[in-house]
Amino acid sequence: MTQPIQTFRVSPFAPPPGAAGLRDEIRAFIKQHMPPTEAPQRANSWAVGNREFSRALGKAGYIGMIWPKRYGGHERHPLERYIVLEELLAAGAPVGMHWIADRQTGPLILRYGTEAQKMKFLPRIAAGELYGCIGMSEPGTGSDLASVRIRAIRDGDGWRVSGQKVWTTNAHNAGLMIALFRTGEPGGRHEGLSQFLVDLTDPAVTVRPIIDLAGGHDFNEVFFDDLFIPGDMIAGTEGEGWKQVTAELSLERSGPERYISCFALFLELMRHAGPNPDAAMTALIGRLSAELWTLRQMSMSTAAQLAAGNDPMLEAAIVKDLGNTFEQELPRLVQAAVDLDLSGNTDLARLTALLLQITPSFSLRGGTREILRGIIARNLGLR
Amino acid sequence: MSDESLLTDAAARLFGDLSGKRNDPFADLWAPVEEAAFPLLLVPEADGGFGGSWADAFAVLRLAGYHALPLPVGEAIVAAWLLSRAGLELPDGLATIAPEVEGGLTNGRFTGTVTNVPWGREAAVVVAVLEGQLIRLNPTDATVETHQNLADEPRDTLRFTDAAVAAAASDVDLFKLGALIRSAQIAGAMDAALAQSIAYANERVQFGKPIGKFQALQQNLAVFAEEAAAVNCAGQAAFAAAGKYDGAADFEVAAAKLRANMAIGIGTSTAHQVHGAIGFTKEYSLHPLTRRLWAWRSEFGSDAGWSGILGKQVIAAGADAFWPTLTERSDP
Repeated sequence: MTQPIQTFRVSPFAPPPGAAGLRDEIRAFIKQHMPPTEAPQRANSWAVGNREFSRALGKAGYIGMIWPKRYGGHERHPLERYIVLEELLAAGAPVGMHWIADRQTGPLILRYGTEAQKMKFLPRIAAGELYGCIGMSEPGTGSDLASVRIRAIRDGDGWRVSGQKVWTTNAHNAGLMIALFRTGEPGGRHEGLSQFLVDLTDPAVTVRPIIDLAGGHDFNEVFFDDLFIPGDMIAGTEGEGWKQVTAELSLERSGPERYISCFALFLELMRHAGPNPDAAMTALIGRLSAELWTLRQMSMSTAAQLAAGNDPMLEAAIVKDLGNTFEQELPRLVQAAVDLDLSGNTDLARLTALLLQITPSFSLRGGTREILRGIIARNLGLR
Repeated sequence: MSDESLLTDAAARLFGDLSGKRNDPFADLWAPVEEAAFPLLLVPEADGGFGGSWADAFAVLRLAGYHALPLPVGEAIVAAWLLSRAGLELPDGLATIAPEVEGGLTNGRFTGTVTNVPWGREAAVVVAVLEGQLIRLNPTDATVETHQNLADEPRDTLRFTDAAVAAAASDVDLFKLGALIRSAQIAGAMDAALAQSIAYANERVQFGKPIGKFQALQQNLAVFAEEAAAVNCAGQAAFAAAGKYDGAADFEVAAAKLRANMAIGIGTSTAHQVHGAIGFTKEYSLHPLTRRLWAWRSEFGSDAGWSGILGKQVIAAGADAFWPTLTERSDP
């Protein structure tokens, strides 16, 4: 008989011994080093940057945790890293400066980079000093990433690039961009794309802010004006860019940041409700607790899959979409349940107002809802 | 049980076979389940049981749900576990649980009524909890009033007058254990309804192509899959916690049953929408799943009931305790 389908492979989250001790350590670190923050900064805190805090984390060994020691890493278990990340996010710590470098830039260099690239970049990333961004979208190229048009044209033993990337998160803080350019013939799709390590301090690079509707600055436009990229700064194999990009997506989609970005609002709702709320508020808090707990289990299970060396493409897409849905619902549910002056000064009002405005972006960044659901459908055997 | 896949393979084979004979008499369906010792899953080997874990129980009950098995496997597993823990005798034949009890004990004899007893009419023993005691009732002492839930599963009322019972002190919460059972069955039934819907969408041709090629259906089925995934993950985690906390995982059971309840609306409506009119017929095999899902949502705690219980629990602990408690309970 056919094996009954189980949509979501569930794996036990089994960190090495000492998980509870590590949790205590990182909590103590946060207590000591986390700068005083206003309530709104504790939400979506992986978009809130603080150089000093990132350096302190680097110094304490909490960045590049799973990388080899010879590149400045700490050779910890991936699930130990997961524990540290969820603690930082739950506390609303400002980890935005180094987040992308730790999550994507470093792992990509580690997987595809040359020895020289690893020696050059990884120790500085792990120290919390070098920050990253990902140059993918272009004007006209969003979800349809294979339509990337900017070309890297051979020039001697290097490459020359002119053009514009857009919606580049953290480019204004980053020293290093992993950029996807076309090295094959114009008009290609998945073939002929390559990844490059671009030095953003190069004078041929200009970064311009894009201010979001809430007044925040995460996104940027990045312009390349006849930028020269040395030949040894291609990341991985020429023409394999698409494969390299898609292989890393699960890392980006299933982390604790996908369900815990609005946790500060949940806590503030509990504080607002006090010890004796009415039945409706009690039920709301109960329901949100169940959803948070479930999403955490799903995210932890997917982390365990990744740690075991699997690529849980389907599970990661499910965690991200379900997490996004929850995080978008939370501020709406709070708004529905509480009489709020959204321009008021209470922590609850400020968090709700901020998250109402910024959560729509959650199902845009890192794969739109529609793309993710398409991935899920394909993995279910539809299409 | 050392080899989980042996157990699940055996359960999948047997439950799949039995689900094809769902209209056969109970005794014929139950005999092979008992023969395979599934009711003894949680009873320690030293006591003549199977020595399985709560994780094993999840896997088996998920499969019972997957096959819309018209048998009280979960109730029997829990009843046998409780009887063996309490040092009370295990019966030949079905032991089930009675979550709702009215009445009292006088000189060790029970007068009262137990309601919504799954397969009470077929049981050799009914286990209930009353006045801090686990009691073992003999249905032949009762007048039996037969009822069934929405999915035609027996949910009977048994009335006892001055009936002899075996009893042992117990602080177990049968209602929570029932919710735990249902959370696993719902996980399986959700996955089965999803699998049927996907198979049907790939088969059914309209406008010149399988309807599964239409993005609108794909997106709806993806959302259904997310809900099924959430229920499965929550159920599995609740059973793991039951293992850790010896069956008394208050937070996790509440959260898992609530999350399962919340998913049923999307799951059943999407399954029926994809199947169109054929899925609405008595003849077609979708309703044994969807009608069970609707019934189980109301059994052992509604959304409102569990969200109230869970809300009170976390509010009493306070905002600052929420995260430390969550992590402490799941850390090894």
